[in-house]
Order: sequence, then C-alpha cells, then structure tokens
Amino acid sequence: MIAGRGRQRIRPPRRGLHGEEIDFENTWAVIESAFREIHTKNASRLSYEELYRHAYRVVLKKKGEELYKRVRDFEHGWLSNEVRGSIQALFSPNLLASSQAVGGTTANERRVAGEKFLKGLKQAWGDHQICMSMLADVLMYMDRVYCQDHHRPSIYTTAMILFRDDILNSPTSDVDGREVLELLNHVILDQIQMERDGDVIDKHLIKSCVHMLDSLHQDDIEAEDQRLYNASFEAAYLDTSREFYRLEADLMLRDSDAGAYCRHTRRRIYEEEERCRSTLLDVTQPKIQKVVEDELIKNRIHELVEMESGVRFMIDNDRLDELNLIYDLNSRVDDKKAELMRAIQKRIVEMGTDINNAAIAASQAPAPAVVEASDKGKGPLPEKSLNQQTVAAIKWVEDVLALKDKYDTIWDKSFKQDQPLQTALTRSFADFINSPTFPRSSEYISLFIDENMKKGIKGKTEMEVDAVLEKAIILLRYVQDKDLFERYYKKHLCRRLLMNKSISNDVEKQMISKMKIELGNNFTLKLESMFKDMTISEELTSGFKKHVEGLGEKDPKRIELAINVLTSMTWPLETMDNGDDAEGHRPRCIYPPAIDRIKRGFEKYYNEKHSGRQLTWLGNMGSADIKAVFPRVPQKDGSFKERRHDLNVSTYGMIILLLFNELPADQHLTFEEIQAQTNIPRTDLIRNLQSLAVAPKTRILIKEPMSKDVKPSDRFTFNEGFQGKFVKIKVGVVSSGNKVESDRERRETEKKNDDSRGFCIEAAVVRIMKQRKELSHQQLVIETLNQLVGQFKPEVGMIKKRIESLIEREYLERIEGARTDSYRYLA
Amino acid sequence: MSSPTTTEYVTLVSYDGYEFKVLRSAACLAGTIKRSLDPSSGFREGAENRVSFTNINGVTLEKVCEYLYYNQKHAESKDVPDMEIPPELCLELLIAADYLDV
Repeated sequence: MIAGRGRQRIRPPRRGLHGEEIDFENTWAVIESAFREIHTKNASRLSYEELYRHAYRVVLKKKGEELYKRVRDFEHGWLSNEVRGSIQALFSPNLLASSQAVGGTTANERRVAGEKFLKGLKQAWGDHQICMSMLADVLMYMDRVYCQDHHRPSIYTTAMILFRDDILNSPTSDVDGREVLELLNHVILDQIQMERDGDVIDKHLIKSCVHMLDSLHQDDIEAEDQRLYNASFEAAYLDTSREFYRLEADLMLRDSDAGAYCRHTRRRIYEEEERCRSTLLDVTQPKIQKVVEDELIKNRIHELVEMESGVRFMIDNDRLDELNLIYDLNSRVDDKKAELMRAIQKRIVEMGTDINNAAIAASQAPAPAVVEASDKGKGPLPEKSLNQQTVAAIKWVEDVLALKDKYDTIWDKSFKQDQPLQTALTRSFADFINSPTFPRSSEYISLFIDENMKKGIKGKTEMEVDAVLEKAIILLRYVQDKDLFERYYKKHLCRRLLMNKSISNDVEKQMISKMKIELGNNFTLKLESMFKDMTISEELTSGFKKHVEGLGEKDPKRIELAINVLTSMTWPLETMDNGDDAEGHRPRCIYPPAIDRIKRGFEKYYNEKHSGRQLTWLGNMGSADIKAVFPRVPQKDGSFKERRHDLNVSTYGMIILLLFNELPADQHLTFEEIQAQTNIPRTDLIRNLQSLAVAPKTRILIKEPMSKDVKPSDRFTFNEGFQGKFVKIKVGVVSSGNKVESDRERRETEKKNDDSRGFCIEAAVVRIMKQRKELSHQQLVIETLNQLVGQFKPEVGMIKKRIESLIEREYLERIEGARTDSYRYLA
Repeated sequence: MSSPTTTEYVTLVSYDGYEFKVLRSAACLAGTIKRSLDPSSGFREGAENRVSFTNINGVTLEKVCEYLYYNQKHAESKDVPDMEIPPELCLELLIAADYLDV
C-alpha cells in the first residue's frame, strides 16, 4: 500500500536506534548495579527509560537469552545470599522448639517467635514482589519479545519460582532437614491452634503469608490446584484440624452434656468460617466446614443423640433451644436428619407406648382400689372398676394430646417447621396409636368425646369447646381404622341421645360437622340421620300426645309416653343389648297392662301415619318417671310420715317396681318369679335389680340374703322404710353409661366390625370392577386399598377372601389363560 | 524520593529536546511510559513526572502523542476515522511503537 504511493520512499531511521554495537558486559554491569539499587530500595535515582533502553538494546541484539539467564542467576544469588540469611536469622530456639515438641516453651513465647518469623517472611516476600515487579517493568521488552518467542515464563514468574526454591524450599538449618515452607506451615497451624485455644493472634499477618502461599505453585506448570496453599498448607491444615476436632469431640462427649456440645460445635463452625474469612482463604471454607461437620457432627451425631443428656433428655425437659441446635447441626450433615428423626420417632413411640401401657394398666388393674372400696362397704363393685376404665380412657386421650402438644411445640420452635420431620412425627403418632398391642384407641377417643359431651364442656366458652373438639379430631386423624371409630362413636352417641346425657345438641352437631370436614360425607351420614330420627321422634311424641288428648279419655292414671323411633339401619341397636341372647331374637318383655295399653295405642297411631313399618320396643333403653308413695313406717330418726318420691328408673326398673305395686307389703318375689312375670332378659334383670336393691342410695327393694351379687334364688321385698334426701331420685342402672368395653364385648365389636368391613371391601371391589371390567389381581388389590384408605386398612388376606366370595357368587370370573391372575366383571 | 505526587499532565521529551505535555491518562496507554511513571516503582521518571527518550526524535514523538490522544478519544467509539500517517515516518513510528509498547 505504502509502496504504491510511488515516489515517496521509506527512509531508514535516521539515527541508529540500535546504532553502534553495544558491549553486553558493560550494559549488564549497568543493569546489574541498577538491580542492586532496586533491591536496596534506591530506585529513585535510576532512570527507568535508561534501563529500559539498555535492556531493549540487549534484546534487539539477540542477547535476550543471555540477559534472561543473567537476571535469573542474579536473583538466585541475591535470594540465597541476602534474603535467606535474613530469614534464617529469624529462627529462634523457641520457633524451632515449637516445631518439635510443645514442651519447654510457653504458648506465648511460641506465639511471639512465630509472629516474628511470619513477619520476616512476609517482609521478604513483599520486598521480593515489589522488586521483581520493577525488574519486570524494566525488562518488559525482554518479556514481550524474548520470553514470548521462546516460550519462557516471564521473568516475574521465574523470580517467584526462584523465591520458592531458594527461600521456602531451603532447609531451615544444616542439622534440621526440614524446609522453611514446612516450618511456615507449622507456625501458621500453631498460631491457629493458639487462636482455637483462646489466644489472640495477628490474623492479618497470617493472611498475607497465606496469600504468598496462594500465589506460588508447587511446580512450574502452575496448575490451579497445585498452588502451595492448596498442595502444602491446606492439606496439613485440614489434617490437623480433623485430628484436633476428633480429640475435642471425644473430650466433649465425655465431659459435657449434649446441649453444651451442640453449642460448642456451633461456635466452632462459626469460628472456622470466620477464620477462613479473616485468616485464611475463602476457598478453604467448605473444606474445613466439612472437616468440622464430619468430626463434630457426622461421626458423633449418633452418640450425641443417644447421650444421657441427648435428644431424649432434651425432649423430656423441653430444651427447645438445644433441640434446635441439634436440628441445625444434623441438618448440616444430613438433609434428611435421619439420626434426629430416628431418635424423635423412637421417643414418641416410647412415650406413646408408655401412655398405652399406663392406660391398659389403669384399666386392668383396678383390683386394689376395689378391694379398698368394698372394705368400706360402699358402692357396687363393678361400677367402680368400670369408671376406672373410663377414667383410664380419658386419661389416655389427654396424655396423647399433651404429647402431641409437646411435639408440636418442639417442631414449631426447634425444628423450623421442617416438613419431613413433621411427617415423621405424624407417622410415629400413628404408629403408637394404631399399635397392634393397643387396639383401643378408637374406642378411647370416642369415649373422650363422649365424656366431654356429657360433662366436660359444661361451663366452657365456645372457644374452649371448639379447642377440645379440634383436639379430638387431631387424634382421629391418626387413627387408621376409622370404621371402628365410627362404630364406637355411633354407639356412644346413641346412648347420649337416648338417655339425654348430651349437654348441648349444638356441640354435638358441631362435632359431626367437624368430622364431616375431616373424614368426608360418608362417614357422618349415619350420624346425621341419627339426629334426624331424634327430631322426628319429638314430633311424633307431641303428635301422639295430642292424639291421645283428642281421644278425650281422661284418665287420672294416664301415663305419658315419650317415644323415640329409631331407624334400625342407622342406629347401632345391636350393640346395645349385650349379646347374651345368642338365639338372635329379642325376647318380648311382658309389660304391665297399663303400659301395654298405651304402647298399643302408640303402635296404632304410628301405623296410621306410616304404614308397613314395624316397631320393635326396646325396653332396655327407655326410662320412666314414677311417683312412689312410701307408707308411714317408723324411721330411724323417729319421724313417722308418708314420703313421696319421684323415681326416675329405667323401663325395666319400672316394670319390676310395678310388680310390687300389686303385692302385699310382707310378700316377696324371687328372682325367678320376677323373670317369669316380666320376661326381662336375664342380664338386664340382674342389673336393674342390682340398682334397685343393692345400691345404697336407691334401695327401694330389699334383697335377701343381702349381698352384692344377684342370684336366681334371691328374694325381694318392697322397702317400706326407704328414705331419700331428695324428692326426685334417679335410679341409675348399673353400667348404663358409656364406658370401656369388656374383652368379650370388644371381641364382639371387632367381629361385627370385620363383618362390615367385608361388605365395604366387596362394595369397593365391585365398584372398581364395574368401572374397569378387567383387572389383574395385583392392581385390584391396590385400588381397593386406595379406595378404603379413608375408612380403614384392610388386610390383603381379607380382600382375597372377598374376591373369592364374589367369584363364587358370580360377580366376577377369572380370566382363563391370562399371564397374571386377572378378573373380569360379570354384569 | 522527592514529592511523588501524580500530576494531571506529564512531560515527554525527545532526544532532540522537544517537550510534549501530555495528559497522563493518554500517555499511560503506552506500556513503557506507564511503567516508567508507576509511582509504586519509584523510578526517577515517576518522581519528576517527566520521561526522556534518547532514541525518539521530536517528529516521531509528536506523532506518537497524536496517536495517544487519538486512541484515547476513540477508545469506545465505532467507525473511527483513519489517522493520517506520513509514509516517511512509518518505519520510525513502528520502531517507536515497539519500544513504547503501544
């Protein structure tokens, strides 16, 4: 291009930039002396341009290699003669001693000596860096031209390598074979150790030495991970730290409690983090963190959790802070927090099992209390023990709720509401609540609600009531066999409704709506219809009353009738009688004529309203108010007058008493006579007679011989001398309240429950098959389980049996020749 | 070391005695000038804020200064106009550029 311009000629430079031949030796002498000045910090007298020009010329004269070599030799000489000497002058006995054994020198002496050494080294390094950057500036032309062309490392790099070789890798002394680098590492580690022990050290100083190590490389290739810091120091640091923390963990686990250990560990972790920031390099942080976590947490967490003062202790003593620490530590090393979770779960199940056992013990070992009671000659024995069972049930629920509260607090305060932990907590609760050794949870929860409905909520605000109900629902959530609960609840509710024990219908309905939300419509369907029956019955009763009045037959002895008509499908009536009548049919009880008349009257009235319905009278569930007149008989306190009492007795009780109405005062009836005349089922009769003749406050009949048990040969007479404090006397029928079932009753319930489960399973299977038409056995079982999960957890064996039965009844058929067992739905 | 103050302008001197006062920021585009003035090295030039070149003449140095400003001005712009370089100066400029590490 330029040539194309024609006449204009490119002239050679007028004056020799590289003019006359230069004498290399002379030039080098100039440069060398200048370098010496630089090293002794006298650069201000030097002209950069001049030196640069010299070096420039030398390189232009192709003497670059010579110059490079000379400079290197010069630096080598300088470092090994001047600098190494000054470093070696820093070695003091204290410093060297520290490297061999700790004995002899105090930490303070060691620290001072170490700091001196570090300072010297840092100084030497700093000087070397500055000088070399100046040298490199001067020799820039050489770096640019010679080094690049010949693929040599820049002079600066070379000089840094020289520093490593001549200073750091030089032996500390002639006797001692160790290198300065090793000593340096040791001193730094020693200083850090001092800091860990509580000393104050010069972090800044160490940091600069660390930077030096970081900028030098192990070999000349300068790979990233071959920095002296990584290769030499860091490894040693991690090793010593590991050892230190291992020992510390040993010591701590032996000497202090888990809480202190956690606090200490957390402090250590922060310290190391801080140390990496202030003293060492950030790159080390994750590594040292891991070391600390490994040594202090991961390898120890098991011991820590299991310590006497470990998780268990913390839970028992509500050490929320410490639990939080443990949680924090465990989550550092383990996302799943397996150790902690395991310990917590174990503790929950332990505590839960304790509660279970306590409940079982309380319900099964009422013997001593009863013996005492009978010694005093008070109260009928069975009532006492049954109460005790109910108390045990309620206590169980309350204990479980307290436990739940406790763990909720811990979870909330200490575990940062950790999701997996919550799942684990829930699982543990479900585990012990549904534990096979404790089959009563459903019953107990229902009893708890029952108790609260009857007494507990008296005088409580709406909020409190709500809280109680909510708690019950929480427990219910854990229960697997919800159908069993439903059965119990129905039974208890039935008693409450029929005997008017419930305090507030509103609360009952509230509870049911809560259950509806929690367990779905199906669950509460029957419960709701029970309430409906109650309302309809009220209407019926008042309707009947009007009807009777409308008949106009005024009868002074008229008996008022309040009736509850119950749909037999929804009410658990079968559970109300005691399963004694194994023949299956309910023996018709013989009502006295007065009662019988009104009964027939109602039947007629009812049939007029609803034709085709059959009424079955359940005498064992009703009650009656009787006005009783006790004749003038001398009393113990000398009074002599007629007493009137309103007696509230069960229907059966009323029938029994009416028998005595027609009996002369000195006559008696035997047990067998009473049974023959009334046809009351045997167990009911015994219970009613017990309450009429044995219970001290309501002894309207006198039994001979006087004993607690009613035997068939016993004779009963009317107690004319009966005296009561109140006009109204309620004659409670023994064991009429809701209480824990006896073992026999329980087996009964379970059997019935199993039966109804069978139907549920069949229904589910048919529903699934109707939809799918064909399905393999495995899948069918899975889907069935899924469908029923909200109600209960059926056993696979049971499902199998049900499928067999469905095949027999030709709802399903096996698909012949299918590879896996499969079924087809037969419409 | 005399006052190591850094001034806004520095003086560049050619071997034939021409002096050019140049903005420091512009002058430091040249590696050699930058290093000679580096206050942390503490060479004489740094203290005096003055660099003498014994191998560059005034004409060339003037062109160098022109280029330094030219470079600074257009450092971040696009479509930079060409700079006029007389052909007779080419070689000397090349050598100077090599020397100065521009």
